[in-house]
Amino acid sequence: MTNATAPAKGGKGLNIAIIVAAVLTVAGIALWVVQLSGGMIQTGMRNLDSWGLYITMFMFFVGLSAGGLIISSIPRAFGMEGFGGISKVAVWTSICATVCAIAFVVVDMGQPLRVWELFVYSNLSSPLMWDIIVLSTYLILSCVYLWATLRAEAGKVSQTALRVISVIALVCAVLVHTVTAWIFGLQQSHEFWHTALLGPWFVSSALVCGTALVIVVVIALRKVGYLELDQRYLVKLAKMLGAFCMVDLYFFGCDLLTAGFPGAEGAKVVEMLVSGPLAPFFWAEVVGTALAAAICFVPKARTSGALVVASALAIVAIFCKRVQLLVGGFQIANLDLVGVVNPHTVTNATGTLAQAYQGMVYWPTMLELGVVVGVFALGALLLLLGLKKLPLKPAGK
Amino acid sequence: MAQKLGIVIDMKNCIGCSSCAMACKIENNLPDNMWWNRILTDGGSEEGTPSGAYPKAGEASTLAMDIFPVACQHCENPACTRVCPVGATYKDPVTGVVRQDYDKCVGCRMCMSACPYTGVRSFNWEEPKFAVEFPVGDPDVPAHQKHTVEKCTMCWHRLAKGLQPACVEVCPSRVRYFGDLNDPSSEVSQLLASREHMQLLPEKGTRPSVYYLV
Repeated sequence: MTNATAPAKGGKGLNIAIIVAAVLTVAGIALWVVQLSGGMIQTGMRNLDSWGLYITMFMFFVGLSAGGLIISSIPRAFGMEGFGGISKVAVWTSICATVCAIAFVVVDMGQPLRVWELFVYSNLSSPLMWDIIVLSTYLILSCVYLWATLRAEAGKVSQTALRVISVIALVCAVLVHTVTAWIFGLQQSHEFWHTALLGPWFVSSALVCGTALVIVVVIALRKVGYLELDQRYLVKLAKMLGAFCMVDLYFFGCDLLTAGFPGAEGAKVVEMLVSGPLAPFFWAEVVGTALAAAICFVPKARTSGALVVASALAIVAIFCKRVQLLVGGFQIANLDLVGVVNPHTVTNATGTLAQAYQGMVYWPTMLELGVVVGVFALGALLLLLGLKKLPLKPAGK
Repeated sequence: MAQKLGIVIDMKNCIGCSSCAMACKIENNLPDNMWWNRILTDGGSEEGTPSGAYPKAGEASTLAMDIFPVACQHCENPACTRVCPVGATYKDPVTGVVRQDYDKCVGCRMCMSACPYTGVRSFNWEEPKFAVEFPVGDPDVPAHQKHTVEKCTMCWHRLAKGLQPACVEVCPSRVRYFGDLNDPSSEVSQLLASREHMQLLPEKGTRPSVYYLV
């Protein structure tokens, strides 16, 4: 992605990109230290909106990690024709996105030095604990899968063994998105989140932005000559992306209708999304997803440039969905009572409680944005280092 | 049988003086901007204001305001304890009090998100700061820690000494009652048996141990 200017065999452009990513990663870590030493009061999060951009990004990157693994494991698991040797690059993007997702949980924690407690005092009734278990399994499994693919190409691992690993990886990929959804969906305290559809919906959103990420990466890599890929494989990916977009919109429609139809509490959720404070994100998602699907479905529109646009639209749309989901969860207060507003109560604590809820109840500070850029850079750094150092090119080249 | 310690608040006689909130603040040496017990109002759009209009001559008043002192509801079926990844918040099996271990809390804020009574759980968003230079309240209260979640302990340190929570102790209009809801002969059980009452958000299924007499 950022290495679009890199020449065929890596070389200067790739090296510069790696250095830039490394510098930004270090800057991000420095900002994280600032956040820990000066306190999380420097973020936009407060008692009434206790999660923010980090958890939004966590959801988003768990989603992004889906595509690569699923795209490379589905054909193998079902014994179908694959996508022309992009499997290894695709899995590598998955691994990088998973590392970012874990990093976002870590920067959101108030006491990261107590992270060891998660393994010693594990409370197995907590969906967060489930997610930590599944996410780490997913990361390890992705690495094993990549390693097994490489060994299989060298003739050291049988195709049957590889197929078994790909089936396990596929199941784990579906689980990781579902369990991430359960962190939110199992909470009866947020009307917007508490729906059985949230699990399947997270899987569909993950497929949308994950596939889109793979399309962007492989087109970029083809452009710089890292790999060769027949256009028909891209068309196949694009058709899949279009289908995933439609499924995601369908789920959204189902959920909005179920929430809004009785005209009770859920109607507030629909109103908040369609015409309330989150409307810009809602409409950006709906229009972006629909446009992406349109580009993917019209044969003449499926040029490389247009597919990159479609993929970018799809990724932005899913990001908008994550914002709606996170902020929307806090936007509707359960207790319709008025209380004292102080600097720890809510993001905009300058006026009354009603004023704080007029716009979006939460928005991030510069520090949060800086830390997010740092985690992005970490992901980019890993991605680029992998392209440089790991044998990810299609076999036989 | 295990206890189910709870608090009953008589809303008919609550004057909204905030003494309970202040007593809590001082007893537990709460840092700046931290309120475990908040006085919420149901009326106008601003705190402590009524809905309706001031009566004109010869007309009946339409002014109305209800006062809800709200702290941790010490639910029988708490949403928070289930989601804590490390068990830093848990239900005491003997008293039914929902407790919080500051030394264990990893600061993930999952409990804050899961609690339907948003706002009763507070996070130390910075190094705790205090209005005065010396600690106030009971010396047995554990120290407040940056980047951890805390909330009403039902004055756990006082319960250990056989005392009732500070908020109950100080209420000048004597509208707060404390006792074992599982004991039919306790004052709180008697009140609930004889008076009309409500709970906050009963539809969430958390079965709070705080009742409001209406």
